[in-house]
Amino acid sequence: MSGNRHIIHQSISRRQMLGACGSGFGSLAFVSLFGGLGAACQRAEKLSPPEVVSGAHPHYIPKAKSVIFLYMDGGVSQVDSFDPKPRLAQENGEDPYKKFKVDNTQFDNIGKILKSPWEFKQYGECGMPVSELFPHIATCVDDLALVRSMTSEFPEHTNANYFLHTGSGLQGRPSMGAWVTYGLGSENNDLPGYVVLDGGLVPPGGLDNFNSGFLPASYQASVLKGQAVPLANIKPLDDPTIQDSKLDYLKQVDQSLIGKLGHADAVESAISNYELAYRMQASVPELTEFATESKATKKLYGFDSDDPHTRGYAAQCLLARRLVERGVRFIERTCPSVEAVRCDQHNILRDGHERNAHAVDQPIAGLLKDLKSRGLLDETLVVWTGEFGRTPFAQGKDGRDHNPSAFSMWMAGAGIKGGTIFGQTDDYGYRVVENKVSIHDLHATMLHLLGIHHEKLTFHFSGRDIRLTDVHGHVIHDILA
Amino acid sequence: MKVNGTNWLILATALFLSVALFNQCSDKSPASLPKTVDFNFHVRPILVKNCYLCHGPDSSSREADLRLDTFEAATALREGDIFAIKPGKPGKSAVIHRINSDDPDKLMPPPASNLSLTEREKAILEKWIDQGAEWKPHWAFIKPEKPEIPSVKNQEEIANKVDAFVLAKLEEQQLPIAPIANKYTLIRRLAYVLTGLPPHPADIEKFVNDSSPDAYEKLVDQYLNSLRFGERWARHWMDLVRYAETKGHEFDYPVQGAWQYRDYLIRAFNEDVPYPQLVKEQLAGDLLESPRWNKENGRNESQLGTLFYTMLEGKHSPVDLVIDESERIDNMIDVTTKTFQALTVACSRCHDHKFDPIPTTDYYALYGIMKSSRFSVKDANFTLEKAENLAELNQIKDEIRKLTARAWLEEVPLPVQAASIQETENDTETGYTLLGDFRNGDLSGWQSSGLAFGQHTTLGEPKFDSQSQRLVSFSEGQASSRQISTEIVGALRSPDFTITEDFITVRAKGKESFIRVIIDNFQLIQDPIYGELDMEVDDSKWRNYTVDVSPWKGHIAYLEIIPGYFERHYYKLPKDAYVEVAYALAYNGDLPSPLPLTGSADQNLSATISRWVDRKSSASDIQYLNQQLRRKSVYVPSAEINTLLQRQRELAQSLTDSAYFTGLTNGFEINSPVFLRGNPKTLSKETVPHRFLSSLSEDGLTFTSGGSNRKELAEAIVNPDNPLTSRVMVNRLWHHLFGRGIVETVDNFGLQGKLPTHPALLDYLAVKFQEEDGSVKEMLKLMVMSNTFQRAVVTDSLALSRDPENLLLSGYSLRRLEAESIRDGMLAVSGQLDPTMFGPSVSIHLTDFMQGRGRPRDSGPLDGNGRRSIYVEVRRNFLSPMMLTFDRPIPFSTFGKRNVTNVPAQSLMLMNDPLVLEQAKRMAQRLVDQTELDTRERIQQIYLWAFARPAREEEVAKAIAFLEQQAQEHKAEDISTSVAVWKDYCHTIFNMKEFIYLI
Repeated sequence: MSGNRHIIHQSISRRQMLGACGSGFGSLAFVSLFGGLGAACQRAEKLSPPEVVSGAHPHYIPKAKSVIFLYMDGGVSQVDSFDPKPRLAQENGEDPYKKFKVDNTQFDNIGKILKSPWEFKQYGECGMPVSELFPHIATCVDDLALVRSMTSEFPEHTNANYFLHTGSGLQGRPSMGAWVTYGLGSENNDLPGYVVLDGGLVPPGGLDNFNSGFLPASYQASVLKGQAVPLANIKPLDDPTIQDSKLDYLKQVDQSLIGKLGHADAVESAISNYELAYRMQASVPELTEFATESKATKKLYGFDSDDPHTRGYAAQCLLARRLVERGVRFIERTCPSVEAVRCDQHNILRDGHERNAHAVDQPIAGLLKDLKSRGLLDETLVVWTGEFGRTPFAQGKDGRDHNPSAFSMWMAGAGIKGGTIFGQTDDYGYRVVENKVSIHDLHATMLHLLGIHHEKLTFHFSGRDIRLTDVHGHVIHDILA
Repeated sequence: MKVNGTNWLILATALFLSVALFNQCSDKSPASLPKTVDFNFHVRPILVKNCYLCHGPDSSSREADLRLDTFEAATALREGDIFAIKPGKPGKSAVIHRINSDDPDKLMPPPASNLSLTEREKAILEKWIDQGAEWKPHWAFIKPEKPEIPSVKNQEEIANKVDAFVLAKLEEQQLPIAPIANKYTLIRRLAYVLTGLPPHPADIEKFVNDSSPDAYEKLVDQYLNSLRFGERWARHWMDLVRYAETKGHEFDYPVQGAWQYRDYLIRAFNEDVPYPQLVKEQLAGDLLESPRWNKENGRNESQLGTLFYTMLEGKHSPVDLVIDESERIDNMIDVTTKTFQALTVACSRCHDHKFDPIPTTDYYALYGIMKSSRFSVKDANFTLEKAENLAELNQIKDEIRKLTARAWLEEVPLPVQAASIQETENDTETGYTLLGDFRNGDLSGWQSSGLAFGQHTTLGEPKFDSQSQRLVSFSEGQASSRQISTEIVGALRSPDFTITEDFITVRAKGKESFIRVIIDNFQLIQDPIYGELDMEVDDSKWRNYTVDVSPWKGHIAYLEIIPGYFERHYYKLPKDAYVEVAYALAYNGDLPSPLPLTGSADQNLSATISRWVDRKSSASDIQYLNQQLRRKSVYVPSAEINTLLQRQRELAQSLTDSAYFTGLTNGFEINSPVFLRGNPKTLSKETVPHRFLSSLSEDGLTFTSGGSNRKELAEAIVNPDNPLTSRVMVNRLWHHLFGRGIVETVDNFGLQGKLPTHPALLDYLAVKFQEEDGSVKEMLKLMVMSNTFQRAVVTDSLALSRDPENLLLSGYSLRRLEAESIRDGMLAVSGQLDPTMFGPSVSIHLTDFMQGRGRPRDSGPLDGNGRRSIYVEVRRNFLSPMMLTFDRPIPFSTFGKRNVTNVPAQSLMLMNDPLVLEQAKRMAQRLVDQTELDTRERIQQIYLWAFARPAREEEVAKAIAFLEQQAQEHKAEDISTSVAVWKDYCHTIFNMKEFIYLI
């Protein structure tokens, strides 16, 4: 069982989980036609409820234990960050309709071809070009595998967000983090397996981007905020001694109920949840106590930046590392609420992108370096992406509209071949011309690195065995080490 | 019905146990095989799980041209003299060779599929072929017939027929049955399952002390008749229809009048509206010939049912409208078929259903029905009185015409003079397409929904001079929203047309109103992209309102004219708003103006007047009459007409409205093509006519009533021959009472659903439900009056080990309360529950963690004003954390069965959520205020409220010890007056497992 654990187990499905152990992945959630898999299995009876229930076997030897998903809310412009297009400068101000077929856009306000306001330079041994927007991340390029050929299916934020997070453009499907914890469980007894670090911006589509959909609620994200009370209801409103005595009394009374009932899985699990909840009260706030972190580490992340958004994001990145250290399985970072509002620059691209990039650049580079120096990068997959890219032509005068036909994404860490560039867009960075990668492919690759075959991680719902990757998805082997 | 009753039940009943209890033990010995292998219970599940993906009903994924879902195909002679299945001859059946093959290239299922058969499954298949390979239709598609009541030994354990079915199986398995629960347990269980609230201590005392034989039945009747009953069962239903008050997506726009639907459900369940009626109202409540009028206030209840469809998500500025429409309709089909038929028809969107006999054409038959419906703002308070007043108003108008005509013709006849009326022939080379022309009397084939636009244009409406009592003139023709009065909602919609020209112009005038171009049924018109499709009309002079629709050429559209406007998609009708339209046309290049008028007058006054009386005037007729009037106005005897005019004004006033909801109305009939592989951009040449699912209806029977044909859809579902409708509903009721359906997969009765644990009982109940005209209350009463419902929870170790999931119901299954019951129970126990029913929802309380676009400016109250959870707003993007944590489903599809999770977030919520603490404090304050009660009495009172039973002596002792300890912690000298001490105690009560579990 390789130490992978479901810390959060369901009374109802516990038997099913255990019964399904023998039949491997996916069947975990397989609903038998004859009620409850292996309900008569002896093993189920032997496990007492507080015991940690092991998850399923990974399908492969996993490269990554944890994922840090750096979500670039709103869609960073690929031609201004990681996909330089000299032709935009040459044809700046010309009519895009005369150059290529232009798709409908969200704002339907198509302007002229717009060159990037930023210069690109080559970095690292691999010579990967990065724009002036991300000078710090640029120093890590030899650890990055850049995919320039990402595509989405939706030009609207909400659908594209649901698609990026759940593999479906509609509300209500389980988020990738929920799938991962459903598949692998958590490695920490005192913390949830799927954590969203809310930097200030909840993406369009709301918290449903992080929900468990039709998977049991156990797998939904716990949303942590960088504030005194980082998690809802984590801070006792009572004095500790008051709470302790309440919980003692509660336990006595609950135990006597068990005595009366003889045997009641569900009630026993509910009782044991109080113990976990109690531990979380200590372990969650401890996460944000950075006193033990060295000055140098903090500096690396950007704690001493003049930009308050950089400082905020730096703290969240450090928090992400601390979560990784504690075995949390899936961590998503949402964007800070910079005045210019997410990376969604429909106008004044220059100012907005610069401010957003400045907020995240140093902290992300710091995170990568810190993980690496601690030997954690080898077992942590870091993913950086937005929900789509932006148009190479202006929206109005100086903005860029949504472009699902091409954008750049990078991964670093566990199992990733650093210094790689994969996929290619056309001369304008508008569409993918080589090695097109879909969101499903991204999900398949992430699962692969976690040791999960994306076609085998299924949950039966609405008459189908549903997957994160629907009926699609190919692992992007070219970027793997 | 294609399939008809067989005696499947008898066999099934006998067979279920062997399957249910022994299948899990992986027993491979032939001795454990059933004596008679049954297709539905033993064989089909194996085939569904292992074979049908490649050898099932979907031809697009079929391998080797072999299907194993029909007898004919599976047993047909195949190439090379092979039979896949040869009945009676397993040795000659290729299937048996293939499943036992050692050759990985031959082995079925193929190793790559990750599927494999157990030895037992292989043995079952072999034995089944040996016994003749009998095929049967899927059990759920066979119409239920009343089964024989099984005979049981233990007659004294039988309270009603439900018990006979349950007991028969228990006796067969020799499982011990749990005793009848004690009265405290019973009343708590009954109160929660029927009303969602804990029993009142007074009711507990009464019940416990009532030794009459019908004490329990009286209690059942009390709860069934309680107003709280509807609140409980409406919420169950709301899980099915993805009830929400906003549309989610980027800005979480409102679903107008959603709460009216919630109230409609509560009233309907409280009044025990027959289930078939409830089905019809939700699917076609706008189309019923005789709607159901509310007994108290006369309102049209039926029309509110169609809000069922409008609980949809709605996307902000979708870039592709065709895809957006297909997603919306997909959800409508999904929810409709799951809710009423427990079938996953949406699986047939891209291909024939992989498992169920649902071809993809079934999906597109329903698609056409949904596409031919239009969402429309309606008067939520339309009453029978209004309907009658409207009829009277129309009569009066006719009467006025008659009286006027008589007066006119009796006056000195005018010399017939040649009138110089412009007559123009319709130019065939117009260069435009006329979308509608309202200058004549008729509405040009457009649909008028609601009362605003009436059934005619204003052509020929007489105008009287009240001073001179003379008929002064006749109105020209125009479609007008204020024909009766302003402040009346309604819409005028054109037939669907394909956009082929660059521009659409509507000649109109009005105030604070809008003309909208609805493309692909998309109504959330909004910048960016679509803003111009919404044209504001705010000018009392005639103007041409023009929109450039060239970006949407090839799309299907219609025009929609509505008085009033939408503010962030919330409809408003200001006092003086109106809109009037002369005509609408589509064209390229320049606007043809002025548009010539068609028709001519014959210039015979009496004939023209009589056409006018009959409402058959042409525009030229009216011009001619007005010419006559200009020459000499007509004196009309005042008394009669004045009375009528006065009455007309009163009636018009009575028809005004002020509360709106978005319901459904008929559009024009559109048949949908099949979307190849589900892609709305690749269409089949043929279209599919409107009809019901082919497995559940006569071959080729198509709907003919026109428009959306939703009424026929509803009729097909409530047809007594439909094998699913009653079964599905009684199974839902059972599920809510027992925590698990007879068919566990309450939303899926298809081949992938679970088999019923008690098939005969299910059919007995389904038939009984039909016999009792679909009375939900009668059915629930039958169920809760059974001993099966009244048993204590299972504690017997033999029963637990042999039937650990309690499939056979040897006792009651322990269960956790639903999210709403936990919160409402807390409010009830703390004394804070406000029993107010109905009305707009209480705003959702917003915590720090609930952020994002569309966030309301103001947070609702922490305690929801003490109202029951059903009255707290459901905003898709800001769902209640407490409801979510305790498993209320996210509203996107049908959820007849909630997850029941057990997570630390639940503990954290009960330990630390401010709401819980606040309620504990209020409860404590109330106790402290009861100075007449001593500590023991208070503890007893709390136990009675929270657990519906008295505290045992040792529990009182422990409680007192705890209170004393907390008194020390708080340095309280007197326990009885310390709110802090009692608050700690009340808080632990809410955290006790006994509080959140039904035992």
